[in-house]
Amino acid sequence: MAEFDKADIEKLIDGVLPWPATQDMLKSSKDADRFDKYVEIMQARVDFKDPILLPLTPMLFIVSAEGERVVKCRCGHSFGDYRANWKLSSLINVRDDEASISEIYKGREMPDAAWVQIREYICGGCGAQLEVEAVPRGCPPDFDFLPDLDTFYGEWLGRPLPDTVRFEDKTLDKIAEWSS
Amino acid sequence: MALSLREETKANEEAFKKTGCLFGLETLARKEADPGTYEAVWHILSNLCNAAWATGCKVSSSPIAAEGGDALWGLHTSTGEAVCISRGISAHAGLLSDMIKNFIDLGYEENPGFKAGDIFENNDPHYGGIHSPDFDMCMPLFYDGKLIAWASCVSHVSDAGSVTPGSIGFLNPDCYSDGLPISMERVGENNRFYPWYEMRIRSRTRTPDFVMGDARGRLAGCLTIRDRLEEVIEKYGLDFILDASKEYVEDSRRYAVGRVKTQTVPGRIRKSQFKDLAMKGKRVLLAKQDIDCAFNLPMELTINADASVDLSLQGASGTVPFGENISPTALKSGLMMGYSHIVGFDMFNSGPIAAWNIEMPPDGSWANPFPLNYEAASGVAWAPAVTWVSNLYEVFGRLFQMRGFVEEMAAGSGTIMTAEFSGINQTGMYLTGLTLEQASQGSPARGYSDGENSAWCIYTPEADFGNAEISELYYPILFLGRNVSPNSGGYGQFRGGLGHTAVWMVHNTPGLEYQCGDAGMRSKMVANHGMYGAYPVVPDRPAYGHKTNVKELIEAQKPLIHGRGDPESPLIASLIDAELVEDNAIAPFVTPEPLQDFDIIVHPIAGAQAMGDPINRDSASVERDLNEGWTTSRVATDIHGVVTNKPNGAFVVDAAATDAKRAEIREERKARAIPFKDWWLQEREKVQAEENMDPAILTMWSTCMELSPKYGEELRAFWALPEDFTFSG
Repeated sequence: MAEFDKADIEKLIDGVLPWPATQDMLKSSKDADRFDKYVEIMQARVDFKDPILLPLTPMLFIVSAEGERVVKCRCGHSFGDYRANWKLSSLINVRDDEASISEIYKGREMPDAAWVQIREYICGGCGAQLEVEAVPRGCPPDFDFLPDLDTFYGEWLGRPLPDTVRFEDKTLDKIAEWSS
Repeated sequence: MALSLREETKANEEAFKKTGCLFGLETLARKEADPGTYEAVWHILSNLCNAAWATGCKVSSSPIAAEGGDALWGLHTSTGEAVCISRGISAHAGLLSDMIKNFIDLGYEENPGFKAGDIFENNDPHYGGIHSPDFDMCMPLFYDGKLIAWASCVSHVSDAGSVTPGSIGFLNPDCYSDGLPISMERVGENNRFYPWYEMRIRSRTRTPDFVMGDARGRLAGCLTIRDRLEEVIEKYGLDFILDASKEYVEDSRRYAVGRVKTQTVPGRIRKSQFKDLAMKGKRVLLAKQDIDCAFNLPMELTINADASVDLSLQGASGTVPFGENISPTALKSGLMMGYSHIVGFDMFNSGPIAAWNIEMPPDGSWANPFPLNYEAASGVAWAPAVTWVSNLYEVFGRLFQMRGFVEEMAAGSGTIMTAEFSGINQTGMYLTGLTLEQASQGSPARGYSDGENSAWCIYTPEADFGNAEISELYYPILFLGRNVSPNSGGYGQFRGGLGHTAVWMVHNTPGLEYQCGDAGMRSKMVANHGMYGAYPVVPDRPAYGHKTNVKELIEAQKPLIHGRGDPESPLIASLIDAELVEDNAIAPFVTPEPLQDFDIIVHPIAGAQAMGDPINRDSASVERDLNEGWTTSRVATDIHGVVTNKPNGAFVVDAAATDAKRAEIREERKARAIPFKDWWLQEREKVQAEENMDPAILTMWSTCMELSPKYGEELRAFWALPEDFTFSG
């Protein structure tokens, strides 16, 4: 089983690991402790102390905060329970007309606003652009990933989390609140 | 008494159900006893398939196989599982395996029987084929009188006799126009084709010499596999080869399951994807085709506690009156190809897909057309499928990131727009066929770097756009340019590899049809691949000029067109005078009339998708891209927030101004964006009112909600719409 230095993993993440070393990582059997090292690296880079349970994206993390499992941006801005799509708790800028789309795509590069809208999900804390969707009007936002954290920690990593929660999608609960 | 192949297949299925291991192989005895020989023989078998590819492509002599290598050979177990495959167009491995299984399941072992030297073929989508130009072949291989394996092959012929010339039949209105069907047939015996097979190809395809060349190439490759396999059996023994072949498949399944368990996270993944096909007002074949269409290509993937994977395509929209419908068998093969690139690539064979539970796509959708629309055309069935398979790259990229395996990440692919020509070439010969430009796109951004330019293709690891000079030999065209396309790899922290633009001048022909085809392109939309905040790749927009003044320009030694130019001021409009100039054409299309000498075509090929917030892009990379001509000042400043100066003719980053600009962009974003709830409240009104929604989008939504009621229910619930709400399309 291969093992890689934390420093090299950091360089990889930052895109500065030399190509031969990157190839070595690609070709070697994988290191069993990568997840823990990666979480350690990310923990040192975020602006909060809550322990990271899962790096959802390079910018968003499921963390354990005061007994709750919530999604937080690297800057510490919280998006609430990880089982509801975090996008519903973000800021959004939607480009759905020619003028706004043309700020990104010019001339022949422009998609047709009657076919697709460009949705930018922005962190209300730091202004990071967290995800972009290009979908037609009517498409609910993608709930990119709803992890089964208890199976992951309990059965795959062999170290159950202190508490368990039900594996369920709570996005529509939020919609029900808004529409009631 | 020996089991029939059908009984053996059934026994294998039961053993898998009982043990969870393919063929019931709970231990890999040959591997454990002699791992060195096991590994060595794998490489020998793999090389044997590659030898078949090299031989078959050369025998074929068609430009698609000989120059582009657009073919594949495989070695299978007696019950059809792919053991290993050659280099080439790997997307077909699953199809070949399923074809053999289908021959067994249909009782061909009894009638007409399997014997040495038999040649079987299929290209019929109703029986699992992908589209008529992809001829799938298999031959049973015998040793000491017993059927011990199969050799298989697919090659993409230049013309399969569909209603329009060529092999990208996007205009086909129904299956009757899809071309010459070979419907699960024995097409030869004693290692020779039947004479009537050749007669049929001669009477019903436009380039029979090339099509028969491809057939002979397929056969030559399969015979190469047969002969070489006999040598391997002589050396290592039949029992070893039979045992090891099964172990390679089970080993590969274990590898893929192991990767899922050690490198991903259990849970549910959802990925929306859409594609356009805008044909209204264009040259079509039947009145019903004078419409625009949109496809819903959703993917829901669940990784279970036991690392098995459930996959659903609920929500797929309805069939279209064009060639962009695909059978579920062919779709599965595309999935297997994508999965092999991302997860199960140690030994590419049938193993990895065994851990998938694939829900049958909704009846009557583009992904399962025949139960409700038996006449649906599949002339270029890859088109929506390959766009859907692209989701796998992003989805697994996200999962690998979560476990820290950043080196394994990849964003999605770009789009696939093809160019096909038909007409008389410079030697007086009628030709039709595909150029190979689209087989060399940019590669997706990785978690640690940009993708590579013009070096990748989603449907084949054999990314190669062929030699321009060889294309010029076949087709009556001359290359005026083959250039990297700036800004063609999306905008992100890491961008996709860039695509390229081919510029052709029509030359030495009485008339040439240019078919700008759909093999997975988007022209009205961009892909939903804004991974981690990146912007997706630009849409496909080709250009052409008809009845030009290029001859005069050449004689006067004036500048010609060699590239695309600025998106807002295309070169074709500024450099060329022509009776018809289309500088921003919505693809796909066939030109209104044949092109003539000195006409110009500007044909762009996509880069691949980016990942990460564009303002996190390393400013030195932006500086390099500017100096290489790979990006533009507007993109550098407005999208990446990188401010540069040009003190000595080269761009140099102003670090302080860049920091300030990026801080400004962050604040502008926060000021401009609104809370999601506020947008949702406004947007649901617009959804209900169908505001600024193209009729094609409305039809797409209404068909997918009807075909997949649960998907429709969830869509209504998300927008808090009445239970009986539906779109008017």
